[in-house]
Amino acid sequence: MKLLVPLKQVPDSTMRIKVAPDGKSIVTEGITWSISPYDEYAVEMALEQKDADPSTTVSVVTVGPVRAKDALRAALAMGCDDGTFVTSDENAAPLVVARALAKFVEQKQPDLVLCGRQASDDDQGFVGPALATILGWPHVATVTKFAPADGGIEIWREVEGGHEVWKASGPALVTVQKSDKEPRYASLPGIMKAKKKELPELALSSLGVDAAAPKIEVVKMETPPQRGGGKILKAADGDAASVAAELVRLLRDEAKVL
Amino acid sequence: MKVWVIAESKLMAQKASELRRVSLELVAKATAFGDTELVDVRGPERYVAAPAVDALAKKAEADKPDLVLVGSTPSGRDLAASLAARLGWAYAGDCVDVRPGEGSVEVARTMYAGKVRATIRLSLPAVVAVRPNAFPLTKTPPTDFQAQTVAAEMAPQKLQFVRFEPTKEAKAGVPLAEARVIVSGGRGLRGPENWKLVEELAAALGAALGASRAVTDAGWRPNEEQVGQTGKTVAPDLYIAVGISGAIQHLAGMTQSKTIVAINKDPDADIFKVADYGVVADAFAFVPALTAEVKKAKAAA
Repeated sequence: MKLLVPLKQVPDSTMRIKVAPDGKSIVTEGITWSISPYDEYAVEMALEQKDADPSTTVSVVTVGPVRAKDALRAALAMGCDDGTFVTSDENAAPLVVARALAKFVEQKQPDLVLCGRQASDDDQGFVGPALATILGWPHVATVTKFAPADGGIEIWREVEGGHEVWKASGPALVTVQKSDKEPRYASLPGIMKAKKKELPELALSSLGVDAAAPKIEVVKMETPPQRGGGKILKAADGDAASVAAELVRLLRDEAKVL
Repeated sequence: MKVWVIAESKLMAQKASELRRVSLELVAKATAFGDTELVDVRGPERYVAAPAVDALAKKAEADKPDLVLVGSTPSGRDLAASLAARLGWAYAGDCVDVRPGEGSVEVARTMYAGKVRATIRLSLPAVVAVRPNAFPLTKTPPTDFQAQTVAAEMAPQKLQFVRFEPTKEAKAGVPLAEARVIVSGGRGLRGPENWKLVEELAAALGAALGASRAVTDAGWRPNEEQVGQTGKTVAPDLYIAVGISGAIQHLAGMTQSKTIVAINKDPDADIFKVADYGVVADAFAFVPALTAEVKKAKAAA
């Protein structure tokens, strides 16, 4: 089975994010960049299939600025077979990114494309569904598992109260909610191997995709107001009931949420 | 301005005949912008993008709405993004406010997993997914709108529904993303066998259950209950965190809540930095007392 994971490099989830003086972007100085967490789940999900069936190939691709190459290397170090780097400006329009990925998918012809549910920078969740729509492929959202089945692929979609199981009979795309296991760490041999691998580079502009896209412009960014200065109640042994009564009174009369 | 609201009823699996609250919230808001149409997609019982997108795109190209509003539920977001891509229209997901202007619309939404609040301007026409609870429901239901249905047909063979596998812990309750009150449990509860504690408090409050990532990763609770960066971003009126230390990824998913209560026995836990009311206490002693007091207050109301 041929699997393809398009991934994006974003600020690591442990980073505190500061808004830049222009009020429209973030401070990138001092940021550690990582594979977006949902994309990392997608990589893990693909690699679990490779563990189960070693004939599986897992390819990764990213569209991004120079720094994004590290994300591809990280995915190769986890055990992916090959990576392709599509170089672009820092803020390529999501629709153009999806068109570029569609060109690449048509060339590569994978059986299944696994995208993270959303990238943890713009949090839009646009490129996965857009890629499927452009390709005319069926897709299933918020997926937690897939498995080859007779004449196709079975796909588990997380919904309220459980999972829907779908079956794709041809190539399909999934947006990944979570993998079965936590994303694996790169092994030392994996890192050494990844270092030696060629990473073919393509310029986004060389793919011949339509560069026109609707205007989506950041007008303002701000960090949410600091919370805190809350009331602290201490419930020592034996007075739980009176503290609970006081909390209920505050929630009802002061916060007015009961 | 011509506004469409996509009805989410056929998009949900279990209660196909019921319109979601978020659809009503959006209709009420949209009628303030202009001519509003509630568009209901009739077709496959379970949501899948392609048939709904095909039907809606065809209709949108003919009717030319300026703005399409969709509830930002898991299915709604997927539909909105797919529809925008198909039409080549601007898109924004998970918005908490929508302000139409001349030839454009401004939306408020979070970025960087909830760590940044942003105002985004989209060219029109646009598809915007709006979070449940972003707009208050009007006391009298809106009547100043048209309703129409479009028929979606499932393309045979490409993708087929096979079966539904229920989660054993799942309770028929309020969906997490739409809940006004959430009670979340963390590792401080020591094990899945102790969940009765938070379940009883949630039942007394009419709340949905949430969990920290540590808890879902350990398999104590289903993934769908996870609140935080790789789970759900929530903003209820009241969020009660029980035995949750408050990792930055968890905080990113719940700091937009109106009122936050933290119950933790470690006075230095980070969760207290975002709490409006912090209770430094052993959850096993305090939560049953709180449940009892909530019941008392509800009975007296």
